[in-house]
Amino acid sequence: MNNMTLTFPSRLENEAFARTSAVAFLMPLNPSVDEIMEIKTIIAEAVVNAMIHGYEQNQEGIITLKLEYDDQRTIHILVEDEGCGIADIDQAMQPLFTTKEHLERSGMGMTIMDTFADEFHITSGIGKGTKLEMTKKLHGTHESTQQ
Amino acid sequence: MKHQYIDGTLYFYFYGDLDNLTVSRLKDICIALIDEYKPRQVKLDFEGVTFVDSTGIGFVLARYKQLRKMNSELIICNLSRTNQTLFHMSGIFQIMKHERNGVKL
Repeated sequence: MNNMTLTFPSRLENEAFARTSAVAFLMPLNPSVDEIMEIKTIIAEAVVNAMIHGYEQNQEGIITLKLEYDDQRTIHILVEDEGCGIADIDQAMQPLFTTKEHLERSGMGMTIMDTFADEFHITSGIGKGTKLEMTKKLHGTHESTQQ
Repeated sequence: MKHQYIDGTLYFYFYGDLDNLTVSRLKDICIALIDEYKPRQVKLDFEGVTFVDSTGIGFVLARYKQLRKMNSELIICNLSRTNQTLFHMSGIFQIMKHERNGVKL
């Protein structure tokens, strides 16, 4: 079992920091190139959602990213904000649904996370914030973990 | 990002991580170039792109809408296998073509 927690303000430049830090933390598991890409994308989608939707681009909001993995190479990912919350989760989950088309959002973020993660769970309350919990099992190369 | 205009086609070439921050910096430049050249066709070349997420899909869909207003066409070029998987989820290839290779800088 290993874990790490990052907290950072809702500034756009911190999204790259979050996704690259997550991948760096998972390097001992020797994930495949595809798995790295999927994890990077999951983190990017979750963090950008917190920044743009949760905090509505208010740069003072704090985002928490927590990663945990176990001996079975199952990764638990948590991304949490204390922003405005999601009014209708089922609607937010619909591919191409977005409340921010004027910001050129595609409405694909949730679909992408749901596809790339093995388990995907949202808890959200209006005015309270949103918590995304995901798990992803690594299947790719893992020789280095057996040495 | 680089661009060139040849015979009615405006080419954009993207490089590195096309994330939210990068797209927010490039968006207005692309909008302005399309308005300036009024091309019949725009090709977005992703060959040099190492990372893209839903922000990139949103950007492509928005350029598609911008071009449709002037009856012009948008074509995506040279997506990597993984990036193609991501774009495929959005159904975007039902409204625009994906090409390999094409005109380089």
